[in-house]
Amino acid sequence: MGEHSKPEWNLLVPVLAMVSFPFIRHLLGYNPIDSAFLIVAVPLAIFPVILIIGQQYKGEDWWKHQLKEGGIVALAGLAITLSLTIWLIIEFLVHHAHFGDQGAVFDWITFDNIASDNTLTESVLSFGIWVDSISLTVLFVAAFLCFLICWFAIGYMTTDPINEDRNHRFFAEFVLFSMGMFGMVLADSFLWLFIFWEIMGLCSYLLIGFYWEKPSAAAAAKKAFLTTRVGDVFLMVGLFMLYDLYHSLDFAVIFGDPTLGGTIHGEDLQWPIIMMFIGCVGKSAQFPLHVWLPDAMEGPTPVSALIHAATMVNAGLYLVARMFPIFSEASFEGALSDVAMLIAWIGGITAFMAALIAFVANDIKRVLAYSTMSQLAYIFTGLGAACWLANEGYQKYALFAFGAAMFHLFNHAMAKAMLFMSSGSVIHEMHHAHDHAHGDGDEGDHHHFDPQDMRNMGGLASKMPVTSTAMMLGSMSIIGIPLIGGFWSKEGIVGQAWNVYLKGGEMILFPAILVLATAGMTGFYMSRMWFMTFAGKPKSDVVEYVHEETQWIKTPLVTLSIVTAFSGFLLACGHFVYWLSDPASEKGSHFMTDFFKHPFEAILYELEHAFLPEDNTLKIVGWTAILLSAGLGPFIAARMHGGHLSEGERAVPLTSWLIRYSGSVGHTDVGELAEGGLATALHNRLYIDDAYEWIISKTLIPLSAISAWIDKNLVDGVIKRIECGSQWASTQIRQLTTGKASDYLLMAALGTLVVIAILWGVI
Amino acid sequence: MDLSNVIQMFGNPLTALTLLPIFGAILLMLLHWLSNDQRREMLASPIRFVNFSLAILMFIMATSIGLQETFGLAWGEYLYQNCQTGEIIEGSCALIGSIGVSWHVGIDALSFPMVWLTTLLIPITMIVEWNAKKGAYFHSLLLLMEGALIGVFVSLDLFVFYVFWELTLIPMFFLILMWGGEDRRYAAQKFFIYTFAASVFMLAGILIMYFNNPADWSGNITNKSFDFVLMENSTGFIAAEGLRSVVFLLMLIGFATKLPSVPVHTWLPDAHVQAPTAGSMLLAGVMLKMGAYGFLRLGVTLFPEQLVEFQILLIVLGMVSLVYGAIVCLGQMNLKRMVAYSSVSHMGLIFLGIATLEPLGIAGAIFMMFAHGIISPLLFAVCGAFKHHYHTLEIGSMRGLAHHSPWMSAHMMVGWMGSLGLPLMAGFVAEVAVLIAFYMAFGWWVLLPAVTLIVTATYYLWSMQRTIFEGEGVAQLPPTMHGDKPRDITWHENTGMLILGVLAVVYGIYPDFFGMFEMMSNWASLLVENVLLEVRP
Repeated sequence: MGEHSKPEWNLLVPVLAMVSFPFIRHLLGYNPIDSAFLIVAVPLAIFPVILIIGQQYKGEDWWKHQLKEGGIVALAGLAITLSLTIWLIIEFLVHHAHFGDQGAVFDWITFDNIASDNTLTESVLSFGIWVDSISLTVLFVAAFLCFLICWFAIGYMTTDPINEDRNHRFFAEFVLFSMGMFGMVLADSFLWLFIFWEIMGLCSYLLIGFYWEKPSAAAAAKKAFLTTRVGDVFLMVGLFMLYDLYHSLDFAVIFGDPTLGGTIHGEDLQWPIIMMFIGCVGKSAQFPLHVWLPDAMEGPTPVSALIHAATMVNAGLYLVARMFPIFSEASFEGALSDVAMLIAWIGGITAFMAALIAFVANDIKRVLAYSTMSQLAYIFTGLGAACWLANEGYQKYALFAFGAAMFHLFNHAMAKAMLFMSSGSVIHEMHHAHDHAHGDGDEGDHHHFDPQDMRNMGGLASKMPVTSTAMMLGSMSIIGIPLIGGFWSKEGIVGQAWNVYLKGGEMILFPAILVLATAGMTGFYMSRMWFMTFAGKPKSDVVEYVHEETQWIKTPLVTLSIVTAFSGFLLACGHFVYWLSDPASEKGSHFMTDFFKHPFEAILYELEHAFLPEDNTLKIVGWTAILLSAGLGPFIAARMHGGHLSEGERAVPLTSWLIRYSGSVGHTDVGELAEGGLATALHNRLYIDDAYEWIISKTLIPLSAISAWIDKNLVDGVIKRIECGSQWASTQIRQLTTGKASDYLLMAALGTLVVIAILWGVI
Repeated sequence: MDLSNVIQMFGNPLTALTLLPIFGAILLMLLHWLSNDQRREMLASPIRFVNFSLAILMFIMATSIGLQETFGLAWGEYLYQNCQTGEIIEGSCALIGSIGVSWHVGIDALSFPMVWLTTLLIPITMIVEWNAKKGAYFHSLLLLMEGALIGVFVSLDLFVFYVFWELTLIPMFFLILMWGGEDRRYAAQKFFIYTFAASVFMLAGILIMYFNNPADWSGNITNKSFDFVLMENSTGFIAAEGLRSVVFLLMLIGFATKLPSVPVHTWLPDAHVQAPTAGSMLLAGVMLKMGAYGFLRLGVTLFPEQLVEFQILLIVLGMVSLVYGAIVCLGQMNLKRMVAYSSVSHMGLIFLGIATLEPLGIAGAIFMMFAHGIISPLLFAVCGAFKHHYHTLEIGSMRGLAHHSPWMSAHMMVGWMGSLGLPLMAGFVAEVAVLIAFYMAFGWWVLLPAVTLIVTATYYLWSMQRTIFEGEGVAQLPPTMHGDKPRDITWHENTGMLILGVLAVVYGIYPDFFGMFEMMSNWASLLVENVLLEVRP
């Protein structure tokens, strides 16, 4: 342990050198859009390099300590992608417009279709780069977080002896995953979006099963792959339907003219969108395909932070956001509003359900997993509202709702990645502290101690100042404490959901109420997690040995803390929401520039917009959300789980106020409630997983066994019967060999006659 | 035939590609058989080496055919034809002139991928079984197999086609009989009789076609010819509607059994489970494709109206194979049996693709033949290695393969993922092409094959979970190991599997590599344009 606690800044030199990559490309005369395919190609090329070298040279000193078992290679590659991404964003902002179809890379397959006049027309499924404000935002989130989490993973993974000699697999798969994510965001057609989407699914499978020897990890990996596969299959069918309509899957064709010259009506698109949405439900872990995400926490924590919180699970949102132009098409007005409502409903139900289950989760990562589900569901509700408004002709509100939803994606990804890394930091230290306290060799005890269980923690604030601060800021962003991170976007989502109701979409009332309630519930469960972990007296003796470690873990946390604390505010004031929904609009085209010119006006405008909207209903909704999430939720959590630290322990000023608050609000004992029927049901995840397992074990498994039996005994049995029959027949026929020449002559003559009859008679 | 004819024959690359392996293999086997015991031991290794060199030579020849030509052929045109239309009967091509059998070979965009695949797989199977200590005949039989398979794909004379078709059975029969598993005798017999019986139906169909070939010339006894090109180009070939249907169905029986399609598939699992690794690889990789190839070449091209008439039958056959095959897979406890049934399931997609009558669907079906020809040998190589090193094929008999044999697990994962249709691997291209076309043709019915993809994923992932993964703490090894130390695959096996795995990925990312998808898509478009467009409902 000691030898690893060195800062090891020198290892970062090659990583920093990679930042010069875009400059070199620039000097060579390339523009960023031509270089954009490298964002996908570089990780793809690095993946086999790490895997093969790692397999060959694992255990060698230079590989382990100089290259951190491939971590440095991965980080260098991700540095290239991050700097290319930033180059692309700068270019985009400077030119204020999207690049359109400029980034064609190669034709995948070329074939012909039969046109209506019975002639053949050529069709191409090609891969290219598509850049606009949404893809750039999600790309930045992915590239930035991949880089930081890889940094974190170097500290997290390489110091754990259980990972010895297999970290190359981790980093290789990590890089492959980043390739999938970048590719999905940059793809210029639904087909390639889907292809990269599946690559992410594969990496998710491999990384959840990183500890493959654990049966629970192997089962969780399979569950994740299969559950998302269910959604993906429907997504595929959606693609087929879309192809059938447009004879293309390119964004340029479909979004260029969603009506295809007036031949396509809104009703035609209902089923394709619903089918594709089922894929999104699977990937983004929404009800009823959400069951895989909590189990996915079996993977190493950096994986949870990256894939299952910040990037891959956003893929579903990204796809829905991509379809927004279809909803905005004027001639489809009203035809797709039911689909939009479905999206909002799924979002509302999942948000509420996941928040409810998070109430009782004691595993720190599972709380975050349910929180992720719940927050993604928020964004779905926001997108549903945006799509509804767009389809009913309220373009102005639709664009705002859409921008708010995507903004929440950004805020949530940053905060949740940081929260997972913080939880990783806690788990890592709890684990080491436990080893330290009880000795490394104490195998028997090892199994009883769960370093992820919050019931073993408490009072960690003084031991882990950076982690506790980061977690506090992340939680505040998720809860939506005014002025921090997620507040700016969450207000927009809740407000616009209610706005749909005001504009005549009565059906949204149910999800609108649910998301409003969820705001308060989020305040409770996030605060509960923080208080259980960091406030109060230590709940186990292990806590005493906890101490914070290495810059590898701290640097990304500090970076993300700063981002989470300020980015929401800055971007909100810089018209990020308007830029996201339409970079060419009046406010969107002044992204950040207005803010730098007249900062106070911009801030005042945003504050007024957020706290005092014109509509009275929205005012009430907004303030209810603020009071529930920032007031009531944390208050109850503080009463239940808060408390002062032990004597002599001091938290840093940034967090000490919160601990003082939690200690001063009194205490409520909830032991009785925690054993009630509802709590049991929640502990069992509302029995949904059990129900699925029961159904599969009662239908598919017996069916397969019966089919296998039928195939062996009936289908093949007939053949075997024929076999026996022919043996019997052959013994009969053998009696024809009488040995008399006359018999043979007769038979020959008969045979000839038959042949002649066949040849001429039938014709 | 005088000597100049023979020289001319071998001057044609396709003739050489077909006959060189056959004669080479027979010579090598004779050489081995005629020598005494002492020499035999000395000869074993050189013979193996010569076999391998010949196979590599064949691969180079096939590759150079692909490199020289871009296959922008018109409909009914073939490259490297050894005779022009006028010469087929009376000219230098006549093989058995009296009944109109000619040595007529040619290659087009439908047969080239199969030929190339065959020449590619044979050396790989040899590498994989390089050190399996199977004597000198083993590799010679593989070489013989290569010649027979190429003969099926390049011959344009139906008599010769049929001869090669049956010739492929002989080396496979001996491969299973001599180097198979415990129950090899039964499996070899069943394989031989079953597929032989089915191809008799095909022979009947070919004979009816022969006697109804309207092209008429004097000079032989029957005034008829077995030549496919003549049949293809002649107008009014088999006029009677009913007879056409009969021929089409006879063909279908023969080809569906080879493919194989439910309900005539049960020879496949038995043959696969008992066959040696190289045998399974070739069986799944190329022999099954003979059915699909024959159906496209003879069934679809010559009998388009019947294809439309029996479209529903094809869809039912394909769909049942696909869905039922996948469900049966899920119930298998034997690794090789599971993979064998997965072949049945995937071959169902070929019928579905052809039944769409869309260029995309047919191109997808042909690419499926090719992609499955790369991926399924990988699957069987993995199964073979598993059997070789762990002496069992029982799923669930062990845990933690990733710990004992990391390379084998890696290949298993690549193969399994490729087979379940993971994007960026070859199988996905075919699946997407077929299913898009299927949706365009039949709409919501696409949900059936699509949902089957979930079942496919389930049986593959489930089997991986129960072999590669788990096994925390104590390593769990199958009882058949008898306490032996588990090993990883040898470098021979590794090389072969690596080539197949890399190709599966290359063809997934870039299906046009070596012009493959483009070629197939062109052929499919030509077929639709020239043959199917008129008869489409």
